[in-house]
Amino acid sequence: MFRLATAIGVVVVLAALPLYLESFWLQTALFAMAAMVAAIGLSLLVGIAGQLSLAHAFFVAIGAYGYSYLAERIAPLLALVAAVLLAGLAGALFSPISGRVRGIYLGLASLGLVFLGQHILQNATGITGGYSGIAVPPFSLFGFSFSSTSPDSLVILGVPFGALERLWYLGVVLVAVAIWYGRNLVRSRPGRALATLRDSEVAAEVMGVDVVRYKAAAFCVSSMYAGLGGVLMALAFGRIVPESFGLLLSIDFLVMIVIGGAGSVGGAAAGALFVTALPLVLNHYSGSLPLLAEPGTGGVGAAEFSRFVYGAAIVAVLLFARDGLAGLARRIRKEKIA
Amino acid sequence: MRLIASVAVVLALAVAACGKGGAEEETGGGSETAIKTGPGATADTITLGYLPDLSGVFAPNGKSQMEGANLYWDAKNKAGGICGRQIEVKVQDTGYDPQKAVTAYRQLSTDVIGLGLVLGSSIVSALLPSVEQDGMFLNFAGWTSDILPAENVAIAGTTYDIEAINAVDFLMKEHGVKAGDTVGHLYFEGDYGENALKGSKFAADKHQLKIAEQKITPADQDMTGQVSALKKAGVKAILFSAAPPQAASLAGVAASQKLDVPIVANGPGWTPQLLTTPAADALIANYYVVSSMAPLTVQSEGVQKFLSEYETAHPDGTPSSNGSLYAYAGAQIADAALTKACENKDLTRKGVLDALHSLNALDTGGTVAGPLDFTDPSKPPGSQVYIAKVSKEAPGGLEAIGEPANATDAEGYSF
Amino acid sequence: MNQFVTLVVGGLFLGSIYSLVALGFVTVFKATQVINFAQGSVLLLGAYVIARAHDSIGFWPAVVLGVLAAAVAAVLIDAVFIRRVRDADLGTLAILTLGIDILLLTELTRRIGTDVLNIGAPWGSDVVEALGIRIPASRVIAGGVAMVLVAGFWAAFKFTDWGIAMRSAAEDGETASLMGIRLNRVAAAAWALAGALAAIGGLFLTSFPAAGVTGGVGLVALAAIPAVVLGGFDSPAGAVVGGLIIGVVSVLTAGYQQELSFLGRGLGGVAPYVVMLLVLLVRPSGLFGTREITRV
Repeated sequence: MFRLATAIGVVVVLAALPLYLESFWLQTALFAMAAMVAAIGLSLLVGIAGQLSLAHAFFVAIGAYGYSYLAERIAPLLALVAAVLLAGLAGALFSPISGRVRGIYLGLASLGLVFLGQHILQNATGITGGYSGIAVPPFSLFGFSFSSTSPDSLVILGVPFGALERLWYLGVVLVAVAIWYGRNLVRSRPGRALATLRDSEVAAEVMGVDVVRYKAAAFCVSSMYAGLGGVLMALAFGRIVPESFGLLLSIDFLVMIVIGGAGSVGGAAAGALFVTALPLVLNHYSGSLPLLAEPGTGGVGAAEFSRFVYGAAIVAVLLFARDGLAGLARRIRKEKIA
Repeated sequence: MRLIASVAVVLALAVAACGKGGAEEETGGGSETAIKTGPGATADTITLGYLPDLSGVFAPNGKSQMEGANLYWDAKNKAGGICGRQIEVKVQDTGYDPQKAVTAYRQLSTDVIGLGLVLGSSIVSALLPSVEQDGMFLNFAGWTSDILPAENVAIAGTTYDIEAINAVDFLMKEHGVKAGDTVGHLYFEGDYGENALKGSKFAADKHQLKIAEQKITPADQDMTGQVSALKKAGVKAILFSAAPPQAASLAGVAASQKLDVPIVANGPGWTPQLLTTPAADALIANYYVVSSMAPLTVQSEGVQKFLSEYETAHPDGTPSSNGSLYAYAGAQIADAALTKACENKDLTRKGVLDALHSLNALDTGGTVAGPLDFTDPSKPPGSQVYIAKVSKEAPGGLEAIGEPANATDAEGYSF
Repeated sequence: MNQFVTLVVGGLFLGSIYSLVALGFVTVFKATQVINFAQGSVLLLGAYVIARAHDSIGFWPAVVLGVLAAAVAAVLIDAVFIRRVRDADLGTLAILTLGIDILLLTELTRRIGTDVLNIGAPWGSDVVEALGIRIPASRVIAGGVAMVLVAGFWAAFKFTDWGIAMRSAAEDGETASLMGIRLNRVAAAAWALAGALAAIGGLFLTSFPAAGVTGGVGLVALAAIPAVVLGGFDSPAGAVVGGLIIGVVSVLTAGYQQELSFLGRGLGGVAPYVVMLLVLLVRPSGLFGTREITRV
């Protein structure tokens, strides 16, 4: 009873938030939601399947650019699905490398993929627009566009609903689906097979787990998540450029799941929220926070401070709370019950 | 029962409390003057948004730019402001990160009449859809023609492709480059370098020159391979559209490989600090800069006024053409647009934009080369450039050669 | 032909600098099983200290200071952070060093900004000419220094007590410590060496023909990673060979950009990684790394 009430409460709050949040918060939230979806995928790959990958930004880029390119030519909903599938296909194609190359070498090999991706994005100007990027066609569903047009002026309870407000709902739905699917996957038989794979490939093989197929599946699913996150990111931006999908983004995702706790779906979401929102929020309040210099003066400003917090958070989590926020939450819950 | 009650309470709260509401456009409260005002303009203040990079890769540039902007507006406010209103500057750091820039824009977009400065074309690209929707003007701290046509964007001068055409013209007139020769072009990946390349290719076509292209990224700090390729191609001159570190490496390696040819760079390719690097002698011998922004030695009214004001306000600081001088010029442009809008009695965002587009011969007193014409959004407002040589004694390290001019070639160029 | 030879020779000399940095990576990995992503920022730290100090105390004292600063920073990273979680898995430790790298880089790039700081080397832009090829003096000196250091390393690893201690600690830490080898001391020494190597590498990476210490130098150190990977993480010989290969590949792709333009432009950045990927596909543990063999 209580859980149902909280669930309904959460739904109502989420539905009502765009009525109150200023565009800054909505924009930040959209970026965070895109990151959450992608981070869950990486968490599944690294935490459950035990495959270290630094190439996540590459698959996010496929989703983002795939959607932007296709939505010009086919219906946005189809473009979204196609972009996600495309990213998944790319992931499946990369997975044989994980059969050959193991552990940290795999992580570093995947690093190569990010640089390769950057090279392609910059040079394949016909499709990607090169360095100047491409505009992202707005998403629409059965004639309802998630932008400020069609309908041109949507006003709910006195609040004009433009692109940001409408995209909020799309984002919430996608994040909810991502979390739900991820949680189910972890608890299912394939999820357990993947966990066995992570702990010992030899043991898994002995127990009859088809290692090659499962690795391919893990990469495929994780990349599909990345692709979906990429689509959401593209919609949140409105225009995408290659630099947004480089090494820094891949590192960001790794950091998100480290802070959240690898292998945990909820943790990945929390980590994503933290990493994405922190610099944006600090920048927002940089005028009013003491100790931080105003933009334009010397000294440590909001941006440097958020980088410091970012680096310090990684270090702190790895030193003191190795299983991240999820691990912390688990421990607190255990103590409550005890 | 409890469940239904709690749900009902939450729903009631949601409906009862008013949402954030939409933004309204007020029509001027002034009594004697029936001036229409919109967001960013009240009865006694006009607010301009500034989106420099203050913490990322261009932070020193950003800080210098804010110095220039504040210099101009402080003086203007002391002299009475515009339209009887004081100018307020709202700054948000973009960190040269599109995500941050988009959210930073959201923070100030409802309060400002226009953007006095936005640095970085990836930033401008990310913001342009929203800026166009909000209908305000944007001073672009960059000189690429790739974003044109753009109704809302104001560039302080002409663009990199025109600069490159002028550079080729200069090389042919003054440095003996003739038809059939090969000219090297070392350029950054991205809209800066590749825009310049468009111009150089155009000029090369016109004069039967060959261009030996070398694309690089900011991570490339050692130009050995590139110089070797250029030498093999037998270049008689090199065009340069990248950043100072690469400039020093290029000049130094070229000298060491006995490739003694003139190097002509776009504006962003210079900083006075290069005179402290091992390549200083090579730069002094062979390096030139083509730019819309005036070198600080120019004896024009605008530049000298800027210099004296700067020295008073920042006795220990260093003025820079692409930093403080640029922002000062940007402020001049914004000032002209706002003043005209005031004369038209329309201080809405659209009014300011229309006023901007009505300026067809804005004279910045020489801070920007030549008069600026904002009437055609598909062309850069400027058409002239300064050409400067590296000089140890000159402030800013650059000494202007001759008067600002434009190559006749550029007239046939289409954007 | 002359261009090719010039490029290869230039690439070898550049590669020798990468070898130094890569050797630092490998030393730390062999001794403490940590992939030290913080090597890049330590490199920048060393170079930065030299660049700032040489005006007031002279070039050679500044170099000593820079090398010391980098070595101390590296040891501190080990002592303060890594030591606490020695038993953690490879990935965790790597990400930890990544976090430290971010911290250090943020502070350093904040201080450097868009500056171009002269490293103050006395050999400036001098050029050495031999057999019709012109090579910057700084590169020749770098090559010489690298050779001496690598030879010194090899000798130290093989013949000194410390070298033997390091190798046994790497092979079997428990037994080594039972035999009286102070693991913490071995680790500290390894990190200090890595820091020193990084600083020396940084000194040469920011000398002519580079412009000086800029914000972009931290990224240049990233180029050493393909070198380490393709050589094999636990092989000093691999580090040297890997560094040389990467150096030659970068210079050749830059020099032949016109001929290779069908592959897109700006290949210099991505070529080392492609080469790394190709090598890994053929030899999954790098050229000289120890192979893990599991067959089911």
